[in-house]
Amino acid sequence: MALYGLESMKTILIIEDEKSLRNAVVDLLHAKSFLVIEAKNGREGMELALSKHPDLILLDLIMPEMDGMSVLKKIREDKWGVTVPVIILTNLSATIEQSVDNTLANSLTHYLIKSDWKLHDIVKKIEGIFKI
Amino acid sequence: MRNKITKSASDDIILNLKVLAEEKESVRRKLAVTAEKLAATAKKLAITAKEKESVRRKLAITAKEKESVRRKLVITASKLAATAEKLAATAKEKESVRRKLAVTAAKLAVTAQKLALTAEKLALTAAKLAETAEEKEIVRRKLVVTAAKLAATAEEKEIVRRKLVITAAKLAETAEEKEGVRRKLVITAKEKETVRRKLAVTAEKLKASHATLENKVIERTKSLEMSRVKEEAILLSIGDGLIVTDENGIITIINRTAEILLEEKSKEVVGKNFFLVSSLVDEKGLSIPVEQHPISMALKTLTVTAAMTGSTYFHIRKNSTRFPIAITATPVILHGKVIGTIKVFRDITYEREIDKAKTEFVSLASHQLRTPLSAVNWYSEMLLAGDVGELNVKQKKYLDEVYRSNQRMVELVNALLDVASLELGTFVIEPKSTDICKLALSVISEQKPQITSKKMKFSFLCAKNVSLMRTDPKLLRMVMQNILSNAVKYTPNGGKINFNLSLKDKKTISIQVSDNGYGIPKNQQDQIFTKLFRADNVRDKDTDGTGLGLYIVKSIIQNSGGRIWFSSPPKEKNKGTNFYVELPLDGRKSTQFISK
Repeated sequence: MALYGLESMKTILIIEDEKSLRNAVVDLLHAKSFLVIEAKNGREGMELALSKHPDLILLDLIMPEMDGMSVLKKIREDKWGVTVPVIILTNLSATIEQSVDNTLANSLTHYLIKSDWKLHDIVKKIEGIFKI
Repeated sequence: MRNKITKSASDDIILNLKVLAEEKESVRRKLAVTAEKLAATAKKLAITAKEKESVRRKLAITAKEKESVRRKLVITASKLAATAEKLAATAKEKESVRRKLAVTAAKLAVTAQKLALTAEKLALTAAKLAETAEEKEIVRRKLVVTAAKLAATAEEKEIVRRKLVITAAKLAETAEEKEGVRRKLVITAKEKETVRRKLAVTAEKLKASHATLENKVIERTKSLEMSRVKEEAILLSIGDGLIVTDENGIITIINRTAEILLEEKSKEVVGKNFFLVSSLVDEKGLSIPVEQHPISMALKTLTVTAAMTGSTYFHIRKNSTRFPIAITATPVILHGKVIGTIKVFRDITYEREIDKAKTEFVSLASHQLRTPLSAVNWYSEMLLAGDVGELNVKQKKYLDEVYRSNQRMVELVNALLDVASLELGTFVIEPKSTDICKLALSVISEQKPQITSKKMKFSFLCAKNVSLMRTDPKLLRMVMQNILSNAVKYTPNGGKINFNLSLKDKKTISIQVSDNGYGIPKNQQDQIFTKLFRADNVRDKDTDGTGLGLYIVKSIIQNSGGRIWFSSPPKEKNKGTNFYVELPLDGRKSTQFISK
C-alpha cells in the first residue's frame, strides 16, 4: 500500500452503536492508514457527517436516537451529502436490502451484511471505492 | 532322752489306739443304727410294693371296664352308621320324589300357562261372540221394525187391491197378473232393503278405517316434522360458519355463526345468490371472480374445494370491514345428481397472528444473533491475518477452529433468517437480467475449496442457449447453492459431481446436480424437504447441516411455480443422488411468498 500525505489521507466516518464492532473496524482502518471519525448513534453520526464532510461513511441501520435509513436520507438531502459514498453495514435481512435498493437506488450506496463479510473484504471494498 | 521319747511315743500310740477303738465303736453303733433304718425302709418298701400291686390290680380292672365301654361304643357307632345310611337312603328317596314333584310342577305351570292362554282366547272369542250377538240383535230388531212396516204397507195395499177387485170387474182378468207383479215387486223391495243395509254397514266400516288412517298420517307427519326441526337445529348450531345453496348457488340455509361472522341476517339472504354474501379478495385486495369462488368450483368440478391459509382470502363485509377466511366448499350429491353445495368457513385472524408473531420472533432473534457473531468473526479474522502480531502455529490452529465454528453459526442463522422471511411472506421475487452461467460459476467458486480438499471429480456444463435471462438472481443462487453444497457435503472424498444447466424451453431453466455419494435412505425420501429434517445416514457423518437447505429450496421453487424432484440412487446406479429442478425464468412477477 502506498504512502499518502496528510492531504491525501481519506477520512472515514463510522456510525455504529455496537462498540465491539466499531472498535474492530476503527482498528483495521487505522492500520490501513485511514483517518477515522466515530459516532455511536444515528444523530451523532448525522451531525458529524454534515459538519466534518468525511470521504466515506460506514453506516449501521438499527441504532438508538436515529436509525440508519433516516441518517442516509438526511445526508442525501444535503448538498454535500448527495455524492458521498455510503456503505450500509448491517445485520438486517435481505428484505431490507430490497427497500434500500428501491428507495435510494444509487451507485454511491452499498449494502453489506456484517456477518457475511470479512473485515478485510470490507476494507478492500472501501479501497475499491477510493480506487486506491 | 531317747527312752523318754520312746515312752512318750508308746503312750501316744496307746492313746491313739484307744481313740481308734472308741471311733470304731462309734462307727459300729452308727452302722447298727443305719442297719435298723435300712430294715425300716425295706419294710416300708414292701408295704409300698403291696400298695402298688393293689393299685395295678385296680387299674387292670379299670382297663377291662374301659375295654367293655369301648366295645359298647363301637357297637353304638355301627348302629349309628346304619341309621345314617338309612337316613341317606330316605333322603335320596325324598330327593327323587322332590324332583318328580318339580317336574310335575313345571308341567303344571306349562299347563296352567296354556290354560291361561286358552282362557284368554276363549275370553276373546266370547267377547267377539258377544259383539256379534249384539250386532245380530240390532239387525234382528231392525228387521222386526221393517217387517212391521212392510206388514202395514201390505195391509194398505190389500185394501187397495180389494177396492180394485170391487170397482174394476173388467180388470179382474188382469188383476191376478198385477197381483203377481205386485208380489214380485214386494220381493224386489225386500232385496233392495237388504242391499241398502249391507251398504250402510260397509259405509260405516269405511268411515272407521278412514279415521284410523287419518290419525296415523297426522302422527307420522308430527314425528317427521320433529326430526326435521332437530336436524335444522344441529345445522344452525355448528360452530363454524355454514351456508347451504341449491344447485344454482341460491342460499337455502345460513347458520347463526355465519350470520355473526358475515354480519348478515338469515331472512335477508336466504333465497339470494351466494355471491351477494361471499365477497372475497386476495391478500392485495383484488377481488376473487365469482367463478373462482370455492362454491362455484365445487359446483363445477364436483370436488371438495378448499381455500385455506395457503392463498389467504379475505371476506369483505357490507360495511367494508374484512377478515381472513378459511373456506371448504363441498358439492351435495344425491342419486348421482348435484343438488347444491355446503360451504363451511371460519375466521382465521387469530391463527394468522400467531403464525406471524412466531416468524417475526425468529427474524428478530436471528438479527440479534448476528451482531455478536460479527464481532467474533472480525476479531478472529484480524488475529488470524496477523494484524496485531504473528501467532504461533498452535495458536493459529485453535483460532481457526473458533473462526470456522463461528462461520457455521453464521450460516445457521442465515438459514433461519431465510426460512423466517419465506414464511413471513416478505420475500419478493425480483427478476433482473442475469447471466445464469456466471451466477452458477460464482456458486461453484464458493464450493471450490471443499471440492479440491475432498479430491472430487467435478464437471460443470452450461448449455449454450443459457445466457442472459430475466430471473431473480438471489433466489436462483440460493437454489443452486443449496443443491450443490449438499452434493459436496454428502459425497465422500474422491467422489464425482456433475452440475448441468440447460433450458427446458424458452421460459424454463433446468438444473441437474448428480453425485455418487451417500444417497438418501429410501424410507426417509418423503421427509427430505421437511423443515429441520436430516437423513439418518448423514447425521453421523456430517455435523454441519442445518436441515433447512432443501426446505428453503422447495419453498422458493414452489412459490416460483417450479418443480423439484430427485432419484436416489439414480436409475441403473447403486448409490448417489440426482437432483432435478425446473424453474420458470420470470418467476411469478412480484408475487409474494406465502406460508405453507
